[in-house]
Amino acid sequence: MRPAEPGLVDLDERALVEACLSGQSAAFDVIVERHRRSVYLLCYRFVSNHEDASDLSQDVFLRAYRGLRSFRGQSSLATWLYRIGVNVCLNRVSAKKPLSESIEDRQFVDEKAESAPDRLMKDERGARVRAAIAQLPRKQRATLVLRMYHEMSHQEIADVLGSSVGAVKANFFHALSNLKKMLGGEVL
Amino acid sequence: MHLQPDELIDLAEGTRTESSATHLAECAVCRLQLEELKATMSAAADVDAPEPSLLFWDHFSARVRQAVDAEGAPRRSFWTWPRVAIPAVSVATAVLAVAVTLNRGGSGNTPLPTVVPAPVALPVASVDLLADPQSAGDTALTLVAELSSDMDFETARDAGLAARGSAEHAVTHLTGSELRELQRLLQEELARSGA
Repeated sequence: MRPAEPGLVDLDERALVEACLSGQSAAFDVIVERHRRSVYLLCYRFVSNHEDASDLSQDVFLRAYRGLRSFRGQSSLATWLYRIGVNVCLNRVSAKKPLSESIEDRQFVDEKAESAPDRLMKDERGARVRAAIAQLPRKQRATLVLRMYHEMSHQEIADVLGSSVGAVKANFFHALSNLKKMLGGEVL
Repeated sequence: MHLQPDELIDLAEGTRTESSATHLAECAVCRLQLEELKATMSAAADVDAPEPSLLFWDHFSARVRQAVDAEGAPRRSFWTWPRVAIPAVSVATAVLAVAVTLNRGGSGNTPLPTVVPAPVALPVASVDLLADPQSAGDTALTLVAELSSDMDFETARDAGLAARGSAEHAVTHLTGSELRELQRLLQEELARSGA
């Protein structure tokens, strides 16, 4: 990957978008670098496996690039990318049943130093919760992911999903209730 | 009446204090539901997503870059082409109106030499627009250019492109001397452009 031009890394979002539209493709590298982690984690929360999350994240950025002219700056670039990400993920999860990866498949990740038994227990518990989240209806899943893991406000989630704050809270309530039913007492 | 889902969410998230919900103190069902919500939220929050390695991020950025390079420049929005096309069509319509008026001038009181600028008008606008590398691939703009290149004055007027108050109206209400001056200016312009 080519290093970002020094002047570009200091630009704010709007200026980066303008630079990109004026033909400085390196400006988009900076946008990717700033948001790739949050976009990847959003996708991972939806599909629960690294390969799909990686492909979806790439798709999110490609769609963002294609639609860069339509970014008006009314919301933050992060919110705009989340909106694209949620749409990409919702389309994907409706077309393909998500597969949670096995613990062995997660060797690429950096794990914090933890004792092996603790790590194993946590991984198993996490895998069960992720599998349960993957079973939630699409909007409930999107609401729970954005609220729990991306700390978005109800209003921001409503903006992303094109619904109301009341609907977001209701979706969140039903998502948690369904999650409770699926998990039973095993991890609670 | 039991607490509503949005009320329970507000209580579980702590944006509303439990003491403010008097119903909680007297309803075991709602208390249980609230506790279960909190426990589920806690269990979900405890699940972390794996953090990819630095090597992955380098590869990821390279893949995005490759895909973006293959894509070319960000596309011109469909809604931006009228900003180019509308002024061009307006100018072309005005020139067309002048040309038609001058052609009609032969039957008026003041004899006017025949000037045939019509073939120059629309093609000039069309060629300039299509020569723009950004708009060359714009199928909507190409369609407008193709359709308008064959458009005569009557069609343009019927389409509402030359409404009252427009260039057509101004030209048809010029006096004889104003028309002669306009004709002279047009001929000068045509001679200068070599048309």
